[in-house]
Amino acid sequence: MGLPLFNATSDPGPSFLSYADSVGLTLSQSNPSDLSAHATTVVALRCRDGVVMVGDRQATHGYIASRDVRKIEAADHFTGIAISGSAARGLEFIRIAQLSFEHYEKMSDASLSLEGKANYLSPLIQRNNLTMPLVVLPLLAGWDTSHGIGRVFEYDGAGGCYERQDFTTIGSGSPFAESTLRLGFRPDLTLDEALELAALAIYEAGDNDPSTGGPDFVRNLFPMMVTITAQGFQELPQEYVANTYRSIVERRTQSGGAAGGTLR
Amino acid sequence: MSNMYYVAPEQVMKDKAEFAQKGIARGRSIIGAIYETGVVMVAENPSASLYKVSEVYDRLAFAGVGKYNEFDRLREAGIRWADGTGFTYSREDVDARALANYYAQYIGDVFTEGQKPLEIEILVAQLGNKLRPTKLYRIQYEGTIIDEAAFAVLGGDAESIKARFTQLATEPAGLAATLRSAVDALSGPDRSILTADLEVGILEDRGHRRTFKRLSDEEVNALRG
Repeated sequence: MGLPLFNATSDPGPSFLSYADSVGLTLSQSNPSDLSAHATTVVALRCRDGVVMVGDRQATHGYIASRDVRKIEAADHFTGIAISGSAARGLEFIRIAQLSFEHYEKMSDASLSLEGKANYLSPLIQRNNLTMPLVVLPLLAGWDTSHGIGRVFEYDGAGGCYERQDFTTIGSGSPFAESTLRLGFRPDLTLDEALELAALAIYEAGDNDPSTGGPDFVRNLFPMMVTITAQGFQELPQEYVANTYRSIVERRTQSGGAAGGTLR
Repeated sequence: MSNMYYVAPEQVMKDKAEFAQKGIARGRSIIGAIYETGVVMVAENPSASLYKVSEVYDRLAFAGVGKYNEFDRLREAGIRWADGTGFTYSREDVDARALANYYAQYIGDVFTEGQKPLEIEILVAQLGNKLRPTKLYRIQYEGTIIDEAAFAVLGGDAESIKARFTQLATEPAGLAATLRSAVDALSGPDRSILTADLEVGILEDRGHRRTFKRLSDEEVNALRG
């Protein structure tokens, strides 16, 4: 690749996608839905101090293709991005989002607003989902540094971007995770309460949805738990996650698998 | 037949070089120096938003003197080249030498073929790791590329600034000492430079992938002591 110089009228600006298009770096469009492994359930919810994201680690392709996929990544210091659908496309999607936000920042010496980042993903989803709807569906959550609040955004297959005031879920385990969140959500949840609720939502999804993985005590593999607050994106250490799931499993064992009439 | 006079190529090159040197000498200078744990770039720049020093990639930075529009276009091209290369291959394949060569070729082409030479001088800095060494590549207006060992001075008054910095910074030091030497070398004995008129960027490992950092006035003041 030579030095990419443009004159003022053809300059693609600070968008990595526009630049990639103008020099033919763009990803190809294909229909990988029958060919590749699928990543499943992630939830994001708002709480008093920011947002919480929890996702399982499994990718399925008829069988279990992988038990340790990372479906949540830091898009930048204050933004988390999660994917469901084609794992191949989803991981590429994360890579492009991360690169795009950094590219913008370096080109223009300013960070994109959280809303700007959320809107930027829309055409990318449209492009990915052109041939077959819902090839990859992400969600974006982050700490809005301009307004000092946590915010979550979800998308539909047409690329529509919708901000949610409470929580959002993606992936095949969504119905089960969403039911849990609907019962347990309050606008004034603390960070710890939100983590507990999100962990339980992913446990429920893993318990009911064949494609969503649960806590794996045999291999010591657990869902990913992330907080994004004024301090930035933070992945919780494996010990914390293991303890959270161990106590959920212990409670469930005592009640013979039933939640026992409360969210626990 | 119109007025076509023969001009010796030596004369053409000399005129172009003089033209470029004059343009570059109009602006303030920059020092890029390797210190014990990183690279610091110090520019005299009264503007707090039109930067001369900036981030290119995880371990790469850019600095330019001369005409702003001319070196800023090269800065943007460098970011695009680095992000594109890292996306196509891997982040660790992005290398300062390759970028410096592209810059040198382009600047050299404009010098020989263009309507006028670029009135700029640029620096590509790389923070080393176990894969690559720490490097300072200075590229002149006619495309000459110089691999500077410890520090590089860009801009008009380069020779005397260079002499002063050599005297002040005799051995590798920490960030604060190197910054102080750079500022004193830029200002000379007869004046002092306000922190507000300084632009300082560093490449240093701080446990993150991205090593570039722009220092705030407070941070620069603390380092100047």
